[in-house]
Amino acid sequence: MKRLAAIAAALTAALAATACGSGQGAGAGAVYTTIDGSKQIDATAPINPFNPKGSTFVGYDVMALAWPKNDLMDPNAFYPGLARSWTATPDQGEVVVHLQPRARWSDGRPVTSQDVRASIGLAYTQGGTAYTVNAGAAGAAADIRVVDERTVAIRQGANRSNAFLRNVLSTVIVPAHVFGHLLPADFWTTLAQARGTGKAAEAAKAEITGLSQQVISFAPARDVSAGPFVLERVNPGAALLRRNEYFYDADKIAPDRVKVLNYTGNEQIWNYLVSGKLDSAPFTAVPAAVMARIKRTPGNEIRRGYSPVAASLAFNQSHAPYGDPRVRRALAYLIDRTQMTRIASPEAGTPAVTTSGVHADAARAWLGAGLDTLNPYPVDPAKASAELRAAGMVKKDGRWAMPDGSPWKLRINVPASFSDWVAAAKSITSQLNDHGIDASVVTSADYVLYLDELAQGKIDVGFWLMALGPSPYNIYQRLYGPANGWQLLAGRLRHAPPGQDGNWMGGPETIGGVNPGELTNRLNLATPEEQKRIVGTLARLTNEQLPVIQLYDYVNTQFVNSTRFTGWPPSGSEALRLPAGVWMQLGLIHERSP
Amino acid sequence: MTPPTTPTRPGSRTRAVTRRLAGHLARGLAMIWVVTTISFVIIRNIPGDPVRGQYETLIERGMSPDQAERATAALYGFLPTGSLWDQYTGYLAALAHLDLGQSLSTPGTEVTTLIGSAASWTVLPVLGGTLLSFLLGVTLGVYAGIRRSGRLGDLLSISGSLLHGVPQYVIGLLMLAIFTTLWPIFPAGGPVDVEFTPGLNAGYLASLIHHATLPVLTYALASYGGWVLAMKSSVATVLGDDFILAAELRGMSRGVVFRYVARNAILPLFTILALSLGMLFGGAIFIERIFNYPGLGLLLVNSIGARDYALMGGTFLVTTVAIIIANIAADLLYAVIDPRVRTAS
Repeated sequence: MKRLAAIAAALTAALAATACGSGQGAGAGAVYTTIDGSKQIDATAPINPFNPKGSTFVGYDVMALAWPKNDLMDPNAFYPGLARSWTATPDQGEVVVHLQPRARWSDGRPVTSQDVRASIGLAYTQGGTAYTVNAGAAGAAADIRVVDERTVAIRQGANRSNAFLRNVLSTVIVPAHVFGHLLPADFWTTLAQARGTGKAAEAAKAEITGLSQQVISFAPARDVSAGPFVLERVNPGAALLRRNEYFYDADKIAPDRVKVLNYTGNEQIWNYLVSGKLDSAPFTAVPAAVMARIKRTPGNEIRRGYSPVAASLAFNQSHAPYGDPRVRRALAYLIDRTQMTRIASPEAGTPAVTTSGVHADAARAWLGAGLDTLNPYPVDPAKASAELRAAGMVKKDGRWAMPDGSPWKLRINVPASFSDWVAAAKSITSQLNDHGIDASVVTSADYVLYLDELAQGKIDVGFWLMALGPSPYNIYQRLYGPANGWQLLAGRLRHAPPGQDGNWMGGPETIGGVNPGELTNRLNLATPEEQKRIVGTLARLTNEQLPVIQLYDYVNTQFVNSTRFTGWPPSGSEALRLPAGVWMQLGLIHERSP
Repeated sequence: MTPPTTPTRPGSRTRAVTRRLAGHLARGLAMIWVVTTISFVIIRNIPGDPVRGQYETLIERGMSPDQAERATAALYGFLPTGSLWDQYTGYLAALAHLDLGQSLSTPGTEVTTLIGSAASWTVLPVLGGTLLSFLLGVTLGVYAGIRRSGRLGDLLSISGSLLHGVPQYVIGLLMLAIFTTLWPIFPAGGPVDVEFTPGLNAGYLASLIHHATLPVLTYALASYGGWVLAMKSSVATVLGDDFILAAELRGMSRGVVFRYVARNAILPLFTILALSLGMLFGGAIFIERIFNYPGLGLLLVNSIGARDYALMGGTFLVTTVAIIIANIAADLLYAVIDPRVRTAS
């Protein structure tokens, strides 16, 4: 018995020693450890970038033509990717892309224009702004022409959009010799037919979109990558990528391998950060106490930059009394955004300077001195009272009531899983109660349910993401898009009545002769100068009408650890929001000298 | 100990066993049908639009609206359509062919593939934890029952009560905090280090054990208390039986008496063990989530979050079938290990 116990103990010790030394047996070399912020790992998913859960990793083994810069205003600012350079006509009618001359796939074959053409063909099966079979859609590509082995020209259709260049450069490129067979031989003929009208065109469209599932489900036997890494292995806990020796800028890539760890929730990411496991991690909401522990870990550093997202309090204007802008303005005068942000998001948020629809950093760039002319809605209970009285609200026994004297119960809905929103909502209701408004927080079980309740008009007041830059169209589309009734179908804009077709905000179609949905739609087509004028108009309108109250602007907070690697993008860098694989491509990341 | 039985012909005995088995199977199938029907109706009526949820989630993670739209459209290109009745009949017809359909949240992947993959990861921590806690709990429960007026008995009873009262997730979080950050000797997540080539090699197996240690220990600690207390109670009952008194009066050694007590007291616990093994396929949701262990519990939670109807239905079905089979097995096993039950039937 004793001998058996001794053998078992020795075996356990040996196994533990082997396991604790993980990585040593798999070959020497620097291993870069990170997480993928855009998805959790699914080891059963195919090695296919068209599959949203695919075992592929953007910036590491998935390459786009170019990588978007985190610019305040210009959505067309990009770093080179597989495209070494590009040109576009002033109206973006044609974009010509020149591929990296040394670009090769991980099996040694060159990356050619045919790969780009096949990738665009496959993108058509998935739909999207530039690659849609609907010829009338704004910003749709009309023609793809292979100029030579490394040059491709993509022409935009008649219904122009200034987002065309951005959409073309964002195209993910896959190897034609692996994925190309998914496109039928007559695909391009079918695509041309689909751009027409009549039954033949409809049949052609159906044929192309019918390929969608086939493309998504395709599971190549192995990864063939043109990026700096290629997938070696994936299990439910992590993915391992090794360096692609054929990468066009291989000498810039410091790590030999990249390990992408899986996570099931934020707590796991915090745990990785506290234990110093991650070399870098994208933005994750972190409570103050956990942040303090993360900062104490040797090597851990924080990089902050512009994040084109803001949190707001949105109103269902079909529900009384929120259809009255004076009530919304009164609420804006009662919310102390600084205090609320300090409680809700001290590390990853800054109090909104005002409600303009735009993140404060970008708003300064778009509006210049015009930003200072907007009402900042400072805390001012007297002005709030005046607005409420003007709206007919009455005060009974120290509490505000509806104009007919019935109780006014303000319910703020938030998804229970968004801890910063829950904290913000509690802070707001506490402040409003102090000012005589019967306010409380209602949580929805999860985000999906919350959005469903919003869309069904069950929520009076709720939290809403806004200011999604840098494209001004995307910024204002959150306020004057489908959620507020304006829908763009086949290139034509229409307004759905409140409560129908996803219009839960229920704002008026025109305000003082201005149709904000139409103006927003024009942002897609306008010149930069005209865009500035439109943004100015929409910012003023938003500031006066307050379809939402802008609460806090997000701060892009990235975590890096300088124990093993250095050369991180500095705070405020335009590359900060990109995956670390792109930082490596840009030559930023270096192994720390022993 | 075995009471005298009336002689029966072998043929009639076989027929009786067959009848008993057939009865169990019929009841089992009926239960499966009822549960699948109920779960189908519940699942199809869960509120929430997965398409909108996916789009907004991607936006919140920093994806541009265009990218999020493309990814969402690609993900939900085929939502379940048709009337609820059509979906139900289609679901049953597919079920008859053991076709659980395709996952919505992992497009292009069969539900059976996802369940098979998750089940393999569930077995190690939950089976390991169940057996470990059963062995520990039963052994110590016998001592706690026999020495229930002594210090050891008190200590074991208190430890059992304490651990039984602490929720699984609290034990899991404590283990995680202690052994992965405070004293980082175990990995914080995942089932195995991806750097090792899968197969029967020392590195891979060691990594597998290393990663499973904390989930197994958590599961074992969380369920140990129940076994100790149940066994102690059962032992206390058996100790009052006449045959124990008779054994002591006949001067049998303490070891023999201990065996008598243990064998008889453990009988009710076998049923619980069989049912626990059936529940194994429900996974250990909290443990799997805390340790990022990709088992069935985590799969079920994720499928609910993603409103993946096919996957939810498949996971419910597997859990239901496993519990029903375990129930039948427990019933049959009980008849095998307890002659009194066999005779009565």
